[in-house]
Amino acid sequence: MNQRIVAAIVRKDLRVVRRSRALMTPLIVLPVLLMIVFPTVFTFLPRIVGGAHTAFAEMFRNLPDPVKRQFGEFTEATWIRVVHTQMLAPLMLLVPFMVANVIAADGFAGERERKTLEPLLYTPATDAELFFAKLLAAWIPAVMIAFGGAFIYAVIVNVTAWPVMHRVFFPDLTWTVMVLWMAPAFAALGLAGMLLVSLRVRGMQEATQLGGLFVLPVIALVVGEVRGAILLGPLMAILIGVFVWAIAGALLAFGVRRFRRTSLVAKL
Amino acid sequence: MPAILLDRVLHRYGDTTALRDLSLTVEEGEVFSLLGHNGAGKTTTVRIVNGLLAPASGTVLVFGRSPLDDGAIVRRRTAVLTESPTLDDRLTAAETLSAFAEMYDVPRADIEPRVNALLAEFGIADRANDRVGGFSRGMKQRLSLARALVHDPDLLFLDEPTAGLDPVATQQLHDMVRQMARTRGRTVVLCTHNLVEAQALSDRVAVLGGGELLALGTPAELARRITPRLEVTIETDPAREGDAVALIAGLDGLTVTTDRTGVLRVGGIPRERVPDIAARLVAGGIPLYRLEPHEPSLTDAYFALQHAGKGSR
Repeated sequence: MNQRIVAAIVRKDLRVVRRSRALMTPLIVLPVLLMIVFPTVFTFLPRIVGGAHTAFAEMFRNLPDPVKRQFGEFTEATWIRVVHTQMLAPLMLLVPFMVANVIAADGFAGERERKTLEPLLYTPATDAELFFAKLLAAWIPAVMIAFGGAFIYAVIVNVTAWPVMHRVFFPDLTWTVMVLWMAPAFAALGLAGMLLVSLRVRGMQEATQLGGLFVLPVIALVVGEVRGAILLGPLMAILIGVFVWAIAGALLAFGVRRFRRTSLVAKL
Repeated sequence: MPAILLDRVLHRYGDTTALRDLSLTVEEGEVFSLLGHNGAGKTTTVRIVNGLLAPASGTVLVFGRSPLDDGAIVRRRTAVLTESPTLDDRLTAAETLSAFAEMYDVPRADIEPRVNALLAEFGIADRANDRVGGFSRGMKQRLSLARALVHDPDLLFLDEPTAGLDPVATQQLHDMVRQMARTRGRTVVLCTHNLVEAQALSDRVAVLGGGELLALGTPAELARRITPRLEVTIETDPAREGDAVALIAGLDGLTVTTDRTGVLRVGGIPRERVPDIAARLVAGGIPLYRLEPHEPSLTDAYFALQHAGKGSR
């Protein structure tokens, strides 16, 4: 594999993404919303919204016993821990998924739509180099944004919760596993899904609509967490990560076999 | 070793046959034109030669290598200027060239000087750091051409290269094609509808129709083969015009028209009869001011070939 060719394609793709307002808007808005706005608002919610404390206490009482046992009696500190380690945590996985999904859509279907794919096919890049470059161009920023966002999230949570917690309580082990293990897996799932879709469709719009369906596992995880159906501990996070990596790996292995110049050029 | 060798290449898109047993060779250092209407198989040929399409059958070799098996090696030596400028609007001109120089593995130290030289050569140096989205069609075409040359290819495919170019840029491109082939030994394959351009630049041309090779040869050979009879303009003393017409009109199969100013246009002359006509006029004491045979053009030959090809398909 010619690393220089791969790096050149990755750099070009990232430069193109950075200069697209249409792409950058969701890539900025979603992480800001999920990793800055949400933790801030949810930390302060019991203090700024009248009756919120009572409502959250009721919500906590309805959680399954294993969850309640994990957090003890309901207090404001309990609320903060439940919100950040249990309820909002899986939402963070949307960030790497969506970032990878959007960039991959632009890199595959978007290039085809803009008719800029053909010159790439005429370069000496092999099919594998082209495929690998397109994957990296989507996966690297997705993981970097997830890691960076998680760091900012942790800082915000500790700062805003300091008056209640009086200590650095976040991240816990589960969150750390989620960020370091699950986030890269969900990024891989996002781009693998988009890759498969992009091989079949011609346009960006079609690709984003169909590729977005691969977000359903993340939504299922969030709903399962909020409803208490899934108790996300470190072991569960590792197992879910293994599962997602396996699906993403299978999809990518399938995709790399289908990713042929001779097939791509037929859709130009 | 030929730059390109195609031997009985067949390619289909579903039920449609795009290339039917196409056989031809393009020699190194040659300017070769692929002529044909839309859908004749020109773009398919370029894609097959560059390993972007796999032919259903037949042999394809580029500098002795298979583009399918050794695609990366083949494409390192080739470049393709596609019909429409396929540039990313969000990159600047300099970024575009640098990115492709990297992809073609141009030595790092050479990239900046080469990019700057190409930008200057194609008159885009002052817009080097502007995004391509703001460029005119002509500027995009020039930048596309610069991109195709960034790795100094041995084999250059130019698909409608002068579309969108002004006359100065067109002349510049023609000079560049000649220079690439004549002084640097590069091979250039033109895919064009511009028959005048093809005639002016090409050593040989291949006329495609419906995926078949209709004719192959130098522009002059094709023209002669298709239209073997010439038209000759003869200028004489207006007072002797009638005598001249009388001498020539007696010859079989010739048509003579005159404008009463001493200029005769004689059509349907077999090439070998031209000296005979000159001799008759001189022997008849007709003053001969001018005798100018008009070679049939590639355009004449092209339309005759396409007409004949359509009839046979």
